[in-house]
Amino acid sequence: MRMIETKNVQLYYGDFHALKDISMQIESNTVTALIGPSGCGKSTYLRLFNRMNDLIDNVRIEGDVLVEGRDIYGKGLGMRIDELRKKVGMVFQKPNPFPKSIFENVAYGLRVNGIKNKDYIEERVETSLKQSALWNEVKDKLNKSAFELSGGQQQRLCIARALANEPSVLLMDEPASALDPISTAKIEELIYELKEKYTIIIVTHNMQQAGRVSDKTAFFYLGELIEYDTTPHIFTNPTDSRTQAYVTGRFG
Amino acid sequence: MSHLDTELKRLKSECIEMFDLVASQLRKAQLAMVDFDKELAHEVNFNEKRVNALELKIDKDCENIFALFNPVAIDLRFVLAVLKINSNLERVGDIADGIARYVIEAQAPFSAELMEITRLNEMFDQAISMMNDTQLAFQNENAKLARGVFQKDELLDQINGAANAAIEVVIRRNVDGITPALHIVSAIRKLERTGDQTKNVAEEIIFYLEAKVLKHLEK
Repeated sequence: MRMIETKNVQLYYGDFHALKDISMQIESNTVTALIGPSGCGKSTYLRLFNRMNDLIDNVRIEGDVLVEGRDIYGKGLGMRIDELRKKVGMVFQKPNPFPKSIFENVAYGLRVNGIKNKDYIEERVETSLKQSALWNEVKDKLNKSAFELSGGQQQRLCIARALANEPSVLLMDEPASALDPISTAKIEELIYELKEKYTIIIVTHNMQQAGRVSDKTAFFYLGELIEYDTTPHIFTNPTDSRTQAYVTGRFG
Repeated sequence: MSHLDTELKRLKSECIEMFDLVASQLRKAQLAMVDFDKELAHEVNFNEKRVNALELKIDKDCENIFALFNPVAIDLRFVLAVLKINSNLERVGDIADGIARYVIEAQAPFSAELMEITRLNEMFDQAISMMNDTQLAFQNENAKLARGVFQKDELLDQINGAANAAIEVVIRRNVDGITPALHIVSAIRKLERTGDQTKNVAEEIIFYLEAKVLKHLEK
């Protein structure tokens, strides 16, 4: 099933043309890696899917962005932004827990959405922490501050927080770049497991990571989508010479 | 189990499948020759395509693991070993196919006397036994069993060395039987080579398990 689709998307920051005619389809329950040098548009592309670019002044977006077949920018039978934010969770480069307890960090999204049923919230918190492979490490200290956790644990907490609302899509913007190798490996394993339930799009500067975790890889360069194919294809026999130069570390 | 572990496990299963397939090809080639069973020989010939297809699949999977997972240490040695084991097994598959072709080409059953004095059957049995040992060594990560293969190869060399003299006597007695006799000699040569291929496989297993390079060394 197709989870996400963009059709001829153009994005401008004022006069700067950041995304140039991007058309792409992403199947559900897959991991898609977005790679490319800094400033190539990969994070901008990722942020299309939860409308985070809207927060930037002078942004102009053309084309269609569909999640589950519905336009998320409100055209036609579009999806409202509050509905979108429930469907699409996001994890950022640096762990950003709230100054609250571990429990409240995960419960936050549910409470914001007006859920008051205590049993349901407890069940969702536990499930989300289990899905993010953190439960065993925190189950005895759920009321402790999230800041007492290590960086890797904080990032898994942020993943649990994103999962609590039962999204369909998980966006990850360099989720392991601030973590040590062991924590990175845990996050990568988690991504591999989570794709059974979620559609994951990950921006990464680490090409080995893209190779390890993703089913498909999209290479962006100067705002263009240069190549989008299965990850084995991109890493063994890319079609475009620019992709080859990038994945072999010869530029970027 | 990590994603890489899953991929390595799958690669191991595929390699075991290759061992099974090639050993079965060799056994069928033996039966086809001894029983002069042309149908079975055609089956070996047909299954050679499966061997080739599986070789390509394993090669591709190794390539993907190198490219996507950057394996190191024992994982790296494992993938390197599988790549070479795969190639050696495919050659054993070619040998089985080559022997089956002799059966397909032959006009009449091979002389039982000739097979007896050249110890062809014994050679087949030994070659298959070596294949089984290397497969078990690979499957159970048993370097000791892999080392045992080097001794077993001596019998193949011995039979091969004596085959010319044995066959010469028979040919002198019956010049009309030169072609089938040459097929038997060729089969013996091929089986001797399976011994070398199997030894290579055993070396790769030891390299993977113990990080020891045995190539070009006295064993």
